[in-house]
Amino acid sequence: MSMPPPPTALPTPQNMATVMPTAVDAGKSITVSSFKITTRKLPILNAQEIDVMTEKLGIAPPEMIFGNNIVSIEKVGGSGEGWKIEFNALEALDLVDKTGNDMLKVAYSAAWQKQREKMHEGIKEVVKPFDWTYSTNYQGSISGTQEFAPTTDQIPLDKLRRPDPILFFDDVMLYEDELADNGMSILSVKIRVMPARLLLLARFYMRLDDVVFRIRDTRVFVEFADGVVLREYQEKEDSYENVKKKFPPYRDDTPAIMRDPNQMAEYLPLKSVKVEKLVL
Amino acid sequence: MPGLPVDLDACIERLYKRELLAEPVIEAICAKTKELLMRESNVVHILSPVTVVGDIHGQFYDLLEIFRIGGFCPDTNYLFLGDYVDRGLFSVETISLLVCLKLRYPNRVHLIRGNHESRGVTQSYGFYTECARKYGSANVWHHFTDMFDFLTLSVVINNDIFCVHGGLSPSIHSIDQIKIIDRFREIPHEGPMADLVWSDPDAERDEFALSPRGAGYTFGAQVVKKFLEINNFSHILRAHQLCQEGYQVLYDDRLSTVWSAPNYCYRCGNLASVLEVDDAGSRFFNVFDQAPENAENRVDQQPMEKAQVEYFL
Repeated sequence: MSMPPPPTALPTPQNMATVMPTAVDAGKSITVSSFKITTRKLPILNAQEIDVMTEKLGIAPPEMIFGNNIVSIEKVGGSGEGWKIEFNALEALDLVDKTGNDMLKVAYSAAWQKQREKMHEGIKEVVKPFDWTYSTNYQGSISGTQEFAPTTDQIPLDKLRRPDPILFFDDVMLYEDELADNGMSILSVKIRVMPARLLLLARFYMRLDDVVFRIRDTRVFVEFADGVVLREYQEKEDSYENVKKKFPPYRDDTPAIMRDPNQMAEYLPLKSVKVEKLVL
Repeated sequence: MPGLPVDLDACIERLYKRELLAEPVIEAICAKTKELLMRESNVVHILSPVTVVGDIHGQFYDLLEIFRIGGFCPDTNYLFLGDYVDRGLFSVETISLLVCLKLRYPNRVHLIRGNHESRGVTQSYGFYTECARKYGSANVWHHFTDMFDFLTLSVVINNDIFCVHGGLSPSIHSIDQIKIIDRFREIPHEGPMADLVWSDPDAERDEFALSPRGAGYTFGAQVVKKFLEINNFSHILRAHQLCQEGYQVLYDDRLSTVWSAPNYCYRCGNLASVLEVDDAGSRFFNVFDQAPENAENRVDQQPMEKAQVEYFL
């Protein structure tokens, strides 16, 4: 019996090799009180761009590498003009340990190594050791002369909890890797701009199955009226075993939560925090 | 199909419309598929013409796009290189359709096992969650993952092109060594079966090297050359790695990667391709962009175009 033609069978050009992905969001920006906020979202890097990046970094970039994406905040007038903080994948990855000193191993590595020794003693070469979880303590790339200094000030959460209108919002991926299906590593940057202030959150999340959970958050807060910029950097981390205990075994949504950095942030203990300030 | 208490053509018709099959139907279909796959060797020999498809990862509309571009079954023969599930929104619909097509046209559709066709990986990367959400229990996930244990590991086209999900293994020099693997099991963490679904080429190298992760291999130019010589093949065809262009050719045209999930995870902006091997054995990459329907169905994924405004702190 022949199959009825599927309802979606439409004629399509045979060779679509010339069709390029559309850069649906090649860049957008807003200027509020002489602060210009820009985001750009483009497709992952192509083979040629990956070669260039690999050359620059000295390590293989993550599987999904959004090397042309950026989020930036720039002072475009008045005092502090030209000061800028930008978040991009290249400089975030440049801070990944390239020596292998901080190297984690997958949970079954010991068993795997043992098996391998029996079978393939000849293979000793390790692809250049580096922190393949792509853990970074990146807090943005700064241009301009003004520098951050330590402060006891805190980001005013009360002001950020107000339902002020959001004039501009974006969520920009910088890189992501599935750690060869041993977990996930992801760095993305969110920004929201309100009439009087803005908040940026660059969040690195890494889950190495049966080994560790890690979050590294950089928040940038700007109060437009007085030109105050606060930058807060936090590290959160816990063993997989400890985190797992917080999830009852009957819960069906545990895997989904463990894929969600925003939910996992509530489950990980704070290891360190520092706040810096500058006034433009 | 004798002994199958369901109408496959009706199932396929429903699945093309993205309708789910009932749980008992999935159970029967998976049981029958196991019987069919059990008879397949670890190295299945087929003849061209055939269209080879790489990772799909639950991107159901892009699978339909592949059929629109490459032809529907059974007019076009298909070889799928694995990674049908996880990540995308419609893993259940994708694997349901592929399994029904395999049952309906067993000699025209071939399915290879990818590293995501495993209980362990699907629990972390979405298929488990999707089954539980769409069917209200994990039963369907059990039916599918039990069936995955029977998928073959490799296919050889025209006795010339070796097809596998990931790549080569230091334990395997001749395809005869693949034939003796006991494949009817969960994908192990080590050994030749793991290597076939996991390993990646490294164009900078000649030999095998260890991944910095402490498990897994990369394989280099000489490894590929030697493997092709020993087995008297001319080409290795694999999937497993995302590429922005939809495909990548390495080692003086001795190895191709084919990637068939355009705009992977609905946000990578990459192209995809299928590889058409014609009667004469010549290879042609048919490159395509994401299906138009994706735009209407991205609910809980993060589309590239519009970020969901949120009062994050």
